[in-house]
Amino acid sequence: MSERIWEILKNAFFRILIPGIKVTIPLAVLSFAFAFIIALAVALVQFANVKGLKQLSRFYVWIIRGTPVLVQLYIVFFGLPKIGITLTAFPAAVIVFSINEGAYMSESLRASLESVPHGQIEAGYCVGMSYLQIMRRIVLPQALRIAFPSLGNALISLVKETSMAATITVVEMFRAAQQVNSIYIEPLWLYTEAAFMYLMFCTVLTWLQRWGEKKLNAYGGVK
Amino acid sequence: MLLKVNNIHKSFDGNLVLKGISLEVNKGDVIAILGPSGSGKTTLLRCINFLERADDGELIFDDVKHQLNKISHREISAIRKKTAFVFQNYNLFLNKTVLDNVTEGLIIARKMDKKLAREKAIKALEKVGMADRLDSYPIQLSGGQQQRVAIARALATDPEIIYFDEPTSALDPELIGEVLNVMKDLANDGMTMLVVTHEMNFARNVSNKVIFMDNGQIIEENTSKGFFENPQEERAKAFVQGIIEQRAIKKEGEK
Repeated sequence: MSERIWEILKNAFFRILIPGIKVTIPLAVLSFAFAFIIALAVALVQFANVKGLKQLSRFYVWIIRGTPVLVQLYIVFFGLPKIGITLTAFPAAVIVFSINEGAYMSESLRASLESVPHGQIEAGYCVGMSYLQIMRRIVLPQALRIAFPSLGNALISLVKETSMAATITVVEMFRAAQQVNSIYIEPLWLYTEAAFMYLMFCTVLTWLQRWGEKKLNAYGGVK
Repeated sequence: MLLKVNNIHKSFDGNLVLKGISLEVNKGDVIAILGPSGSGKTTLLRCINFLERADDGELIFDDVKHQLNKISHREISAIRKKTAFVFQNYNLFLNKTVLDNVTEGLIIARKMDKKLAREKAIKALEKVGMADRLDSYPIQLSGGQQQRVAIARALATDPEIIYFDEPTSALDPELIGEVLNVMKDLANDGMTMLVVTHEMNFARNVSNKVIFMDNGQIIEENTSKGFFENPQEERAKAFVQGIIEQRAIKKEGEK
C-alpha cells in the first residue's frame, strides 16, 4: 500500500465514520423501533383473528414483501411530492424502512406467537384471566423471547440496508464514502473502508445479540 | 346441587360428539366419567367449562341458569372464577416459576393482595408436596410434579368444583401414583370433583359416582360400587369385563 493511499484512508476515516454514527445508526435504530411497533400490531391482529384488520394485515405484508425497498424509497421520496406530500430525505427513509422491515418482522413475530403452546391460553382462561391479561403476561413474554434472535437478525440487516438511503440523498455512511471518493477517486480502497465500518457495526450488534440471548435464557432453559 | 347440565349437544364439522348429555353434581361429589376413547368425555368437560362452545343445552351453576349457546363472556368469566380445571398436559405457564404459576390467577384475575396470594399459594403447594420448588420453572420438573403444581394452581383459587381432564394420561406409569394420591387427599377433604379418567382404581376407590359414556351419550350413571360390581347396561358390562380381562393379561405377563 502506498503512502498516498494510507493518507487518504486515514483522512477519510472520520469523514465516513461520523455520518455512520450520526446518520446510519439513528436511521437503523429509529426504523427498527417503528418497525417493531408496526410488526407487533400486525402480528397480534392476525394471531387474535380480528376480522377486517387481519385481512388488511395480510394485504400490507403482501404488498411490501412483494416490492423492492429501493423502489419504495423512490416512490416515497421522488413520487409522493407529485401529490403534494413532500418529505425531507431522512424522514422519508425512516418511514420506508419502518414499513418495509415491519412487514418482515411481523411474520417472525406471528410465527413466534403461534409457537407458544396453546394450552397455556386455556389454562389462563381457567384461572380467570382475560384474553388481554393472558397475552400480556403469558404469551407475549414467551413469544418475544422466541423471536429475539430473528429480531436481532432484522436489526443487523437493517443497518446494511440503510446504505440504500444514499440513493435518496441521505448522507449516511455510504453516501459519505461516495463523496470522499469523488475527491480522491480511489473506489477500491474507500468503499472497502466503508464496508469495514459496516462490518464493525454489525459485529458489535452480533455480540449484543449473543449477550441478550444468554440473558434471556431463563425459564430453566425453555427455548 | 352445585352444578347441573341439561341436554348438551356439540358437533365438530357435522360430527355429533355429544348427543344430549345431562348430569348433576352435588357438593362433595367425586364423579368419575369413564368410557372408551372418542366417547365424548373430554368434550363434555370442555363444554361445561366453556373451552368449547356447546351448540345447545343449559347449565345451572349455583342456582343460576345459563343457555350454553348464548352465554356471555361476563357470565363465563364469573363462573370460571368459581371453578378450576386440570389439564391432561398440565399447561403450566412456562415463563413463570412454580410460585408465580399459582399466584397468577389470584393476583391478576382476582386482584388479591400479593402477600395474601403468596401465603395461599404456598399453602396449596404444601398440600401437593411442591412447596420446596417455589422458584423452579415448569421445564425443570417431572410430569408428575408439573401436574401437582397444576393442581395447586387450581386449588389456590378456592374453587367450588375442580374439573380434571385425564390428569394422569400423559404421565409415565411410575409418576401416576403421586398425582392420584394428591387427588385422593382432595376428595377426602370434601372437594367437589368431576374427573374424566382411565384410572379404574381411582374411579372404584375414590369416586362416589361413575358416569359411563359411549358414543356421545351417557349409558349408565351409578354409584362407583354399583358400577364395578353390578353394571346394569350391556355396554357398561362389556367395559368392566374388558378391564378385568386386561388386568388378568397384565398379571399373566408379570408371572
